[in-house]
Amino acid sequence: MSEVLADVGSGESVRLVDVPDGDTRARLLRLGFLDGTVECRHHIRKGPVIVRRNGTDLALGADLAAEIAIERPGLEASD
Amino acid sequence: MEGCHGAGSDPDAIDADSTLALVGCPNVGKSVVFGELAEQYVDVSNYPGTTVDTTLAEFGEYKLTDTPGVYGVSAFNEEERVTREIVLEADAVVNVVDATHLDRDLFLTLQLLDMGIPTVVALNMMDEAEADGIDVDVDALEEALGVPVVPTVAIDGKGFDELRDRIPEATAPEETAIEEYYDELPDELEATRAEKTLLVEGDEPLARKVDVGGVMADGGSPALVEPGLREEIYGQRRKRVQSITGTVEEVTRTEDSIAERVSDLMINPLTGTPIALAMLGLIYYFIGDLVAQRLVDTLEGEVLGVYYIPAVESFISDLLPESGWIEPLEFLLINDNLGLLTVTVQYVIGTLLPLVIAFYLAISVLEDSGVLPRLAVLTDRGLNRIGLNGRAVVPMIVGVGCVTMAVITTRMVGSKRERTISTALLGLAVPCSAQLGVIMGLMAGLGLIYWFGYLGILLVVLGVVGLFLDRTLPGQSESLVTELPRMRAPRPGNILRKTYNRAKMFLREAIPLFGATAVVVSALDYVGGLAAIQNGLRPLTSLVGMPADFGQILVLGLIRRDFAAAGMTDMALSSAQVFIGLVVITLFVPCILAMVMIFKERDAKSALLMWVGSWVTAFSVGGVLAAAFGVLGL
Repeated sequence: MSEVLADVGSGESVRLVDVPDGDTRARLLRLGFLDGTVECRHHIRKGPVIVRRNGTDLALGADLAAEIAIERPGLEASD
Repeated sequence: MEGCHGAGSDPDAIDADSTLALVGCPNVGKSVVFGELAEQYVDVSNYPGTTVDTTLAEFGEYKLTDTPGVYGVSAFNEEERVTREIVLEADAVVNVVDATHLDRDLFLTLQLLDMGIPTVVALNMMDEAEADGIDVDVDALEEALGVPVVPTVAIDGKGFDELRDRIPEATAPEETAIEEYYDELPDELEATRAEKTLLVEGDEPLARKVDVGGVMADGGSPALVEPGLREEIYGQRRKRVQSITGTVEEVTRTEDSIAERVSDLMINPLTGTPIALAMLGLIYYFIGDLVAQRLVDTLEGEVLGVYYIPAVESFISDLLPESGWIEPLEFLLINDNLGLLTVTVQYVIGTLLPLVIAFYLAISVLEDSGVLPRLAVLTDRGLNRIGLNGRAVVPMIVGVGCVTMAVITTRMVGSKRERTISTALLGLAVPCSAQLGVIMGLMAGLGLIYWFGYLGILLVVLGVVGLFLDRTLPGQSESLVTELPRMRAPRPGNILRKTYNRAKMFLREAIPLFGATAVVVSALDYVGGLAAIQNGLRPLTSLVGMPADFGQILVLGLIRRDFAAAGMTDMALSSAQVFIGLVVITLFVPCILAMVMIFKERDAKSALLMWVGSWVTAFSVGGVLAAAFGVLGL
């Protein structure tokens, strides 16, 4: 089972690799949040996750965060 | 462009042939740029068929139109559909780009250029970019985009002479990287570049239009192209954005600013909750106490009640001849319940106008400072449970002030489903400040335990109804997806302009509606309809253990909630009866103004359902309470 955004703690940097809903995926893509790593600014317990990319902060609801699959840029190339 | 005129505006007021649209992401300073460019005649109206307001003005030989802030041209929500429509019809576009968010904003810019729309870029917030350690090479950006780029600082009015000079140079590159995808479209298709671009991106409204033309019929599917193509194109455009920002932008990241630290404090529930409560307290004091109680009391009770109404009454009585057939007319104009020239004017000018202005002021401050999305983050978890997301926090806050106003703000909560839930909760379980004031007074005589009981019952009803609607309404609630714009001190000019425009539009729409309602209610009153309703209510009043004159209170409640509460102060009731009566009139139907707003914002069917639902809920809860008090022997 791959990890999801809801598992990520504040301060970590991850890549959003799969967003199931097509429209939401397009909206995130458009804003550049699928281009590379994003920083998790805050994760409110059982609440929204706030991610940052190039100075833009985006809040994603808990349900959505539980659906977004992530990858931690480890040994693999980050952007 | 005919499409830009809303109801109530004069289509001939601006007689320019070409349309210049201001397009940009949310919070990039579009409205300030609009204010700088607009030469005369600013007109706000709803975009036809929507609840989104657009502003029109004159600029040279252009008709200048503002658009709702969007991150791209598509149709993900109502704002985007309006912007998409305006862009498709515009002759040229000023694309306002936030220099501190180049990477986010250039997607829209490149999309406009892909669409072949003549564009000038206003590179705004150059001052903030500098403060943030972001250096943008304007000439290189102009070169990379192939259209004029003018650096501006909108709030200081800097760069506008150059912007005005260069708007006639608006252009789009002959050809962009999107061309390769046009091959995916049927050869025989005749469409403009803008339409082709949207079509390969899977734009459904356009595909349907083309479909009707008989060019394409693919098993009834609305899309002309493969479903995955939109993402491929968006991905390609993002790559182009990255390659541009890579060459024109140099970032030396600075330390977290004060604004960022404030933002962190607001989002963290531990610190954010007290901050939010303090702000709500302040807003409540401003709107609920200062304006709703003091100002409205003075204006409505003293100025209009003591001087205006008697003057109009005697004027009309003197003017109209004494005769039998004129009496109904006189009644319509000056009766004490909802006379067209007396009480209706008193409501609209004395109550509604000050409240409307106060609310728009408060909302504009919250909007301008970036507080709203942070409140949404804070409340998202709780609101999720009743089928709403954090954005619904605004109508709920405003509702405690005035439900009529709150119904309008349900526009911001997202999908139709969420609007329905929040409107229903507002109509049912949220008392307005005017009513709350009277209720607090009555409760004070009963003791604190009743007060908590009252609040507890309202919260339970709110939760149960929310859960019920969440389970029964079709579809799924949308998750919160919201940008958190930088926090900044609100700018007075911006706030006053927004408040003025919104209040003006509200009045233009509200006055005819309230006038018509007044005439209907007065007519009903004249033929004895209201008295008949009061008699018909007997079974219900006895169900909740109240005396027959409670029917009179309910009739008042049909018109205005605080009237109902106020009417109860004169009745001889036991503590239990006062308590039940107050719960019933709180859960009872929204006031007539709020109903008119619900009718306008939603539709006749939901308005009627909500109205009937209020009766059912109010009397079921009241009946249960009466039975419970009976068992306890109180």
